[in-house]
Amino acid sequence: MSYKASNVWIANLSHTFKKQVKPTLSDINLSIPKGQLTALIGRSGCGKSTLLQMIAGLMIPSDGAIRIGGHTVTKPSAKWNMMFQNPSLYPWMTVRESAALGLVFAGTYKDKKDKVEDLLDMVGLSELKDENVQKLSGGQQQRVALARSLATEPEVLLLDEPFSALDAFTRTTLQNEVAQICHDQGITMVMVTHDIDEAVAMADNVIIMSQNPGEIVGDLKVNFSYPRDRNSEEFIILKEKLFGEFEKIDQAKQKELLEMA
Amino acid sequence: MSQSTLPSKSSLSRITNGFNSLPTGVQGFVNATIGMGILLFFWWVGGLLIANNPDTEAFAGFAPGSAFVALWALITNGELWGTIYSSLYRILNGLFWGIVIGVPVGILVGYFIRVRQIANMPLQFLRMISPLAWMPISVLAFESWDNAIIFLLVMATLWPILFGTAHGVQRIDPNWFKVARNLGADGYQMLRRIILPAIGQDVFAGIRLAIGVAWVVLVPAEYLGVTSGLGYAINDARDTLDYGKLAAVVVVIGAIGYMLDFIAVKLLKRYSWHAG
Repeated sequence: MSYKASNVWIANLSHTFKKQVKPTLSDINLSIPKGQLTALIGRSGCGKSTLLQMIAGLMIPSDGAIRIGGHTVTKPSAKWNMMFQNPSLYPWMTVRESAALGLVFAGTYKDKKDKVEDLLDMVGLSELKDENVQKLSGGQQQRVALARSLATEPEVLLLDEPFSALDAFTRTTLQNEVAQICHDQGITMVMVTHDIDEAVAMADNVIIMSQNPGEIVGDLKVNFSYPRDRNSEEFIILKEKLFGEFEKIDQAKQKELLEMA
Repeated sequence: MSQSTLPSKSSLSRITNGFNSLPTGVQGFVNATIGMGILLFFWWVGGLLIANNPDTEAFAGFAPGSAFVALWALITNGELWGTIYSSLYRILNGLFWGIVIGVPVGILVGYFIRVRQIANMPLQFLRMISPLAWMPISVLAFESWDNAIIFLLVMATLWPILFGTAHGVQRIDPNWFKVARNLGADGYQMLRRIILPAIGQDVFAGIRLAIGVAWVVLVPAEYLGVTSGLGYAINDARDTLDYGKLAAVVVVIGAIGYMLDFIAVKLLKRYSWHAG
């Protein structure tokens, strides 16, 4: 399998929703390195999911531009596709049909049948490939969604809190697996989460966002190898560091808002 | 309670337990047979009352005995097949045009809010008009009686199919559209791979309702000029005072209606993706 990983450049991006005065996102400038997993972290309502939808081409920003590889993002594409919190599988399809959907849309399924089989093998669903997706557990459904996203060989894979609806055991397993796949295959991934534990467990870079308006206020490099031992000293230190950073920014923001008021 | 009632109670519970241990399909068949037996019994009692009343004895042909003799005659002389063919031809034509018009319009109404807002009031207005009320207009508008009847059947089948389809489209999870766009689906692929499979059950539920309404409308519609079909056969039997034949045709109408509904239910199950 080959993935043509690409950088993501976001330049001077701002967004104000219709009928709103205050911007939801303000002056976002970001360079997301290729072949790495970058986590966007922030409180609910800071605009991180909005930003991700804009990277996916599902929303158009009021100002600024997003470029992936050599392309300016203006519409959705299988080259920069997204995994959602809800796997949103189509209940009339089998596991194989679901995983192959992007290839069917692209008209390349006949040539790439083996790839779907390989991906189902990679996510541990080979034996269930002819089952209807409704028969799968939540974790298995999310694995199908991952295979479906990876089948189109995306240059960037976007993850919008993809594990938040799962139970703790399944969530931890999938976090480790997805991070490992991203690392092994060299796929560029951008993930939105509000879970600090998840960010440290999976990401190479963590971008911290604040709200009112949503802007980037900090970042952190997470340099240690997969699979990451969550009980290791290194992991705990990084987690505390990120938490401290988050609190510091939060307090500064609160102070700023109070002063403005 | 006397002791003699105890054994009969326990034998009743043995029979009940024995029945409950039968396969579900066999239980269903036995229950359906009991239901038809009850219907036949009431028909037979009704026939008996009619035959024994001097005021109504002329209609004794309605009783099951005469009806089944007449039905056998219709089968053996071959008259029945031509009659059924004419009616089925009209029903299937009406259903075909109901689907061809109803499904695409239903998709447009369900998918686009603007189209729904524009079309809702006129469509609801037209839906409320009895299909038979179009009879004078259909006679004027179509040269052949057959086409006039088919038009009435289209007016009967269209609404359940159109509104069933529109309702199905409105119920589609918006995330399914988002995911499909995200995976690169174009408009045709969205229709073919997402919308049509998603609404399959609603479309076939609409078709099932449409078959029911069309079958009810067929008989009075076939009073209209034509010289073939089940409606015509009933009218003809009434005019010739052949009440046995009239009852036989009623039996045929019920049996074919049941079979059409059975096929619709099978299709509904085949195209339903709902679990269970």
